[in-house]
Amino acid sequence: MAAIRGEVSWFCCGTAWGPCGTAGGGACGTCKSGNYQHAWPNTSDACWAITHPDSCGLSMSRRGCGFRHYTTNLCNGSRVGTTIADCGPQTDLFCGERTCCGSACGSNRIIDLTPAAFSAIGSLSVGLRPCSVDTV
Amino acid sequence: MPQTLDRRRLLATAALGGVVGATGLGSLAPEAAFAAEPATVEPGAPDPNFVEGRIGKISGHLLLVTGSDTVLHSIRITDGTSIWKLHPTTFDQVAIGDGLYARGVRLPDGTLAADSVWVNIVNLHAHIAAVGRNLLHLDHKGQRIVAHVVPGRSAAVYNGTPAISDLSLLRVGRHVQVLGAWHPDTNEIDIATVYAAA
Repeated sequence: MAAIRGEVSWFCCGTAWGPCGTAGGGACGTCKSGNYQHAWPNTSDACWAITHPDSCGLSMSRRGCGFRHYTTNLCNGSRVGTTIADCGPQTDLFCGERTCCGSACGSNRIIDLTPAAFSAIGSLSVGLRPCSVDTV
Repeated sequence: MPQTLDRRRLLATAALGGVVGATGLGSLAPEAAFAAEPATVEPGAPDPNFVEGRIGKISGHLLLVTGSDTVLHSIRITDGTSIWKLHPTTFDQVAIGDGLYARGVRLPDGTLAADSVWVNIVNLHAHIAAVGRNLLHLDHKGQRIVAHVVPGRSAAVYNGTPAISDLSLLRVGRHVQVLGAWHPDTNEIDIATVYAAA
């Protein structure tokens, strides 16, 4: 798979405090905020029906629970490997959204990382970053 | 990479009793600090250098935290630790009962020497159910959450445009991502940044 460029954010899952307490284990039932995991918009037909990246002009491959992706923060070049644990982000709700660090930009939300994974490549206090995602 | 490794070594030194000043660490921005951190955690696995939970006790510069999975953690705050609680802040703003995410370096005794601590941080995907004076009522996974606009701090990003302090363009029914700080006593949040969909 050629690397996909877009936007990365973070989400909480598993047992948690505060508003995250209702998050649960995600579509795969295994998601935990402290693990290197992520949400992917095409884990199943039901997932695709919610996220609809095609409405933003994206054709994202079908990947199942446990599949590995590697996300690079285009702001600093740092990279993290994670496995699919949930369905998301809801790409269609933010069609055309664009995030940049200088000349490094990404459009459309393509992946959400757990707090552990996102904080390995950037600060949680920055909710959105341009990224590239690949499988190796 | 040398800068990051130096910073991590300094954090460990500070946690073990050495004297470290912020200026000796260079940039304190977490983004820079972790830019070259080697990825040693297997995809899907828990990160031993990351902690999530709520603060049960504060003893000196040590936070005793109970993870949501009930595992107990000790987190050492050093002179080089960056702390976020709605905005970059200082250790005296951290309180018992706060939730947190922390990242740092594990010391031989299992304590995490914290490089970054994000206190009460939340990143919610929600719909705007109602708009009030200086607040939003959010529908988040079927729960209603009150989100306060904090003058001078809260900002809005409208579909990728630069962040601005004017939140008046937010409308009922719109989908938003809200980055903010949770209030443990009320379950309400303060808004740092609202990302609004088109």
